[in-house]
Amino acid sequence: MGRIPRAYLINRLTTLILTVLIAATIIWIIPRLSPVDPAEIALGRMAAGAGSVANSEEILAQLRANMGIDEPMLLQYFRYITGALVFDFGLSTAAFPTPVSTLILNALPWTLGLMILSLIITFVIGNLLGALMVWDRSPKLVRVAIPAAMVFTSIPPILSGLLLMWVFAAKLQWFPLTGAYSIFVEPGWTWEFVQSVVYHGFLPALSIVVVTFGFWALGMRGLMIGVQGEDYVKLAEAKGLRPRYILYRYMIRNAILPQITAFALKIGLLIAGQVLVERIFAYNGMGKLLYDAILNQDFPVIQGVSFVIILITALSVFLVDLVYPFIDPRIRHEVA
Amino acid sequence: MKLGRLLLATSAVALAATAALAQDVARENTVIFDLDRTIQDPENFNWMTPGTKRMHGAHQTMWEPLFILNYGTGEVDPWLATGFESNADSTEFTISLRDGVEWSDGEAFNADDVIFTTDIALTNEDISSREASTIKAQVASVEKIDDLTVKFTLNDPNPRFIVENFGVRIFGSFLIMPEHVWAGQDPATFAFNPPIGTGPYTFTSAASNRAIWDRNDDWWGAKTGFMDLPAPARVVFVETGGEESRAQLMAANQLDAAQNVTIGTFEAIQAQNPNVIAWYADYPYAAADPCARQLEINTTVAPWDNANMRKAVANIIDRTQIVNVAYEGTTAASQTMFAQYGSMSPFIDAVVEAGYGLPARADVAAGQALIEAEGWSKDGDFYTKDGETLSVQIHVNSASTEYTRTIDVIVEQLQRAGIDARAVPVENGVFWGEVLPFGAYEMSYSWLSCGSVNEPWASMGRYTVADVVPVGERSPGFNNTARWDGPAAESYSAIMEDIAARPLGDAEIPGLVAEAYAHLDAEMPFIPLVQAAKLLPMNETYWTGWPTADNYYNHPFFWWNHTHQIIHNLEPAGN
Amino acid sequence: MTSQDHLPPTRAEKRQAKRIKRFDNPWMNPKLIWGAALLLGIIAMGIIGRFVWDPDLVFTGSSMLRLPPVGFENLRGQAGSMANPLGTDGGGRDVLALIIIGAPNTLFVGLLASLIGMSIGIFLGFSAGFLGGRTDDIIRVSADVMITIPPLLILVVFQSAFGDVSLTMMALLIAGFVWQSPTRLIRAQVLSMKQSGYVQMAQLSGASTSHIMFREMMPNLVPYLFGSFIASVTTSIVTAVGLEVLGLGPQRIPTLGRTIYEAINAGALIQNLWWWWGIPTLLLAIIFIGLLLINLGLDEVSNPRLRRLS
Repeated sequence: MGRIPRAYLINRLTTLILTVLIAATIIWIIPRLSPVDPAEIALGRMAAGAGSVANSEEILAQLRANMGIDEPMLLQYFRYITGALVFDFGLSTAAFPTPVSTLILNALPWTLGLMILSLIITFVIGNLLGALMVWDRSPKLVRVAIPAAMVFTSIPPILSGLLLMWVFAAKLQWFPLTGAYSIFVEPGWTWEFVQSVVYHGFLPALSIVVVTFGFWALGMRGLMIGVQGEDYVKLAEAKGLRPRYILYRYMIRNAILPQITAFALKIGLLIAGQVLVERIFAYNGMGKLLYDAILNQDFPVIQGVSFVIILITALSVFLVDLVYPFIDPRIRHEVA
Repeated sequence: MKLGRLLLATSAVALAATAALAQDVARENTVIFDLDRTIQDPENFNWMTPGTKRMHGAHQTMWEPLFILNYGTGEVDPWLATGFESNADSTEFTISLRDGVEWSDGEAFNADDVIFTTDIALTNEDISSREASTIKAQVASVEKIDDLTVKFTLNDPNPRFIVENFGVRIFGSFLIMPEHVWAGQDPATFAFNPPIGTGPYTFTSAASNRAIWDRNDDWWGAKTGFMDLPAPARVVFVETGGEESRAQLMAANQLDAAQNVTIGTFEAIQAQNPNVIAWYADYPYAAADPCARQLEINTTVAPWDNANMRKAVANIIDRTQIVNVAYEGTTAASQTMFAQYGSMSPFIDAVVEAGYGLPARADVAAGQALIEAEGWSKDGDFYTKDGETLSVQIHVNSASTEYTRTIDVIVEQLQRAGIDARAVPVENGVFWGEVLPFGAYEMSYSWLSCGSVNEPWASMGRYTVADVVPVGERSPGFNNTARWDGPAAESYSAIMEDIAARPLGDAEIPGLVAEAYAHLDAEMPFIPLVQAAKLLPMNETYWTGWPTADNYYNHPFFWWNHTHQIIHNLEPAGN
Repeated sequence: MTSQDHLPPTRAEKRQAKRIKRFDNPWMNPKLIWGAALLLGIIAMGIIGRFVWDPDLVFTGSSMLRLPPVGFENLRGQAGSMANPLGTDGGGRDVLALIIIGAPNTLFVGLLASLIGMSIGIFLGFSAGFLGGRTDDIIRVSADVMITIPPLLILVVFQSAFGDVSLTMMALLIAGFVWQSPTRLIRAQVLSMKQSGYVQMAQLSGASTSHIMFREMMPNLVPYLFGSFIASVTTSIVTAVGLEVLGLGPQRIPTLGRTIYEAINAGALIQNLWWWWGIPTLLLAIIFIGLLLINLGLDEVSNPRLRRLS
């Protein structure tokens, strides 16, 4: 890392901090634009569940105090920003008095495990297929089969999940229907547990992979076409290098660069985007936590989850910016 | 980097903490219930704070209620208590506790626990559970008579005190907590982990999507002869993730009782797994939910501030069609505002006999006559008056297709009769937080006459003039959101005051109900539609003895506090 | 050699000639035509369908519930009829009417959202990559910021403010989430092209900024831009469908996503009501295949190398 100029590093670090700060502010503001009072909603939920509510004014005041929404806006904001810096987002209002950080820590391992894994699998498969679509020497079959496989992209993830569940869990009974691990296994660092997690994670991961690899393939294809015409590829061909070598070392290596940026950008989006798969498989990751929180107007949780997503995305973008010049020698660590 | 380390460390600690391995329990000794939500904080068992801290098995297996209301008979069956007495004007209630009840750690359960827990509700400002607030609103003081006797003194007469607070009337009851564990803790933040209770099961483990409870073979009830040990060695509540998943789990015998499904799904489950049953063996299959559905009308907005116009709408609505289309035959048309339980039949019968029962079919001509009598005339498809088209917007919560479909049907019926009705679906939070309590609607789909299951006041008392507030202010306790006011409403409220003070079972109540209902029928501040239905598939592959219409020991809502009864009734199927 | 000029052409030569002719008009390539035909077919179905089929059949209870398509039987043993050739859903809505109304709506949201998103993306991406400096910083930070914010959050707040969203509103909201990716990627491309010989040459020869941007660099980015546009239509539709499948889209307007959402909520899989979820999915598939073919076809238009490959 010593080769990174200090000015560049400072510039990117400033960007990182600025990004996180602005985004954190925006996610603080957005829910407050909603005309709905979360305390009213909490009260409404009590009424919806059981008919009436006694002492409603008192409960309402109490809920407002618990939610910290009876304080001046500026104070709320200040408290939020300073708390966020140390991952303290206050207490959940829907599951009061559970700290938001606890909820996130319960959900994060599942999201990281399942989502990141499937994200990497999709990335590799998608890019490889995209590259093969363009490569002159791919077998004819590959070039016909891949566009056909793209049809899967049209399936909403929830449906791919349900279809996989229907075929492989309900009909064939090869995989379990729901849950992140067997209800008969206790969580812990045991072989049994790890096995159970992998076994249960297979279908959810597959349903994500099936519907998303097409994006990468399509993007990669576009990039490969660009690279194909480049002089260095022609030169390599003229040199008589092995085609496979040219594919990996010259073409994919160059074409994949923007894809890596996209990968970094997608991480956050994917966490938020996997809500549906998490819901049908009763897989309690960050996406589902966020969805439930939005439905319950649970501001602190919404802010906490969004903040973590923002942080993960911003950090990966930051890392890509740092690493990019190393993998693409055409780009220098430029400050301006 | 810091986040990563923090994460690794905490997840490692969290996993290590729960790594204590439970012994294996065979599937045939386990009963698995469906949980329709996430356990947001599996480490917290303080039921006085919001969140899923009871219905994941805690109040079905571990915490027992003092009494359980029987929906079939209307009786209040004693459980942790043996009975109660009240004074003549229903301001003092003396509860006798059962002898020999023990917490699972061996400590005796007694009056001190009851008083301690009630005191929390009375004095602590920071807790916000519905049950605790009800106690706080009603109870003036509580005192210990002896180790097994407690006397509650109320602020106002309330003959329903026991059933409302301790009898599992709807969903839960005011649960008694062990003083020897809770003493000295802050009730607003105490996590109560590990939890203990008096029930036949103890907490084994929980994660965000399931909770496991194992039988305590040393349970007090078996020792004292109160009841045998329940048959299931283990009870599991597992989050299923929607109708499709729960149907698949049910078909695959990985679930013993599931949450509400549609009739089509139920038929499909039965086709794949003939062992699956429901409340009724045939149509309507579903059990009635205590919150009957209705069309709430804002009585302050013209032209619906006119009682005749509201009556006209009531005439035009065809309940049978709602049952057939929106519910596909799984429910019944409402005759009155009440949920049609056996325990409610004296009051329903009184209203029907007095001639105020609602017909199942529409009388469109009568409805149109009422509209025309108010000076509207038909111009093309719709009625008009002074150049204005007769129109109405009906707000509906978009959270469930049950709601939107019902309103779709009603909109069609009104359209055909000449009223330009439009459905306005709104998001759940907006509906409950903004629309309904503030009167920001013309008509709206609701179930706000919910409450009565064994006496009439809980529902009827919600429409008194005492709760009328202007549009734009929040209706207290979601009562009388229709803002029904005027002379008829006042006479109605006067009768309500009378009923409110009478003891349960007073022979004159049905007559008074009929008298009061005359005002409701004449003014129609809301139009009862249909009974709410819950179609709960129950699986007889491993367990029999589920509550059904033929085996009516109580209703089948297994996320309620009365589920102790269900679990005690389960028997191994022996397959 | 000369005599060969007068020989009748061999079959291989004929094919070659045909191909060359086709290259003369690259817009006539079959992939592009097929892709466009599929999408136009969807639009045509929406327009013509409204005249030949009763659009009122999209309302709840307008037909019997859960009828199968013609030639099939449902679980209750009812046979499909011509009154509802594609069957009905669990609320008694005609599936044919649903797709006539719903499919063009879905396409509309996707096209509008990505049109707006791409325009913003191209403009900002070029500006950032080429101008650099403060402009770059501001654009990059705002793209970074926006890309991190979950669309779910915005839509729910929006709905709670207005009760419901319209299709156009939905497209505008989604556009707010599809410009960042093209911006960043185009910026990266521009940065890497800036280093390439021809741009540096142009710079040395004193060409103006706009000349370099639009004359020298843009043409080289075209295949990528087209790919990116189609990808963003796809992303927009997937985002829209994803939100609809959560029940967060327009409530009263039929869309393919909402139909699937309702099917899933009603347990259509276990009830074997394949037409309820299957037909909307098939239409989504047709839309996506159409987009893919257009993408492939456009590549051949802009990149002659590819034509020889096919």
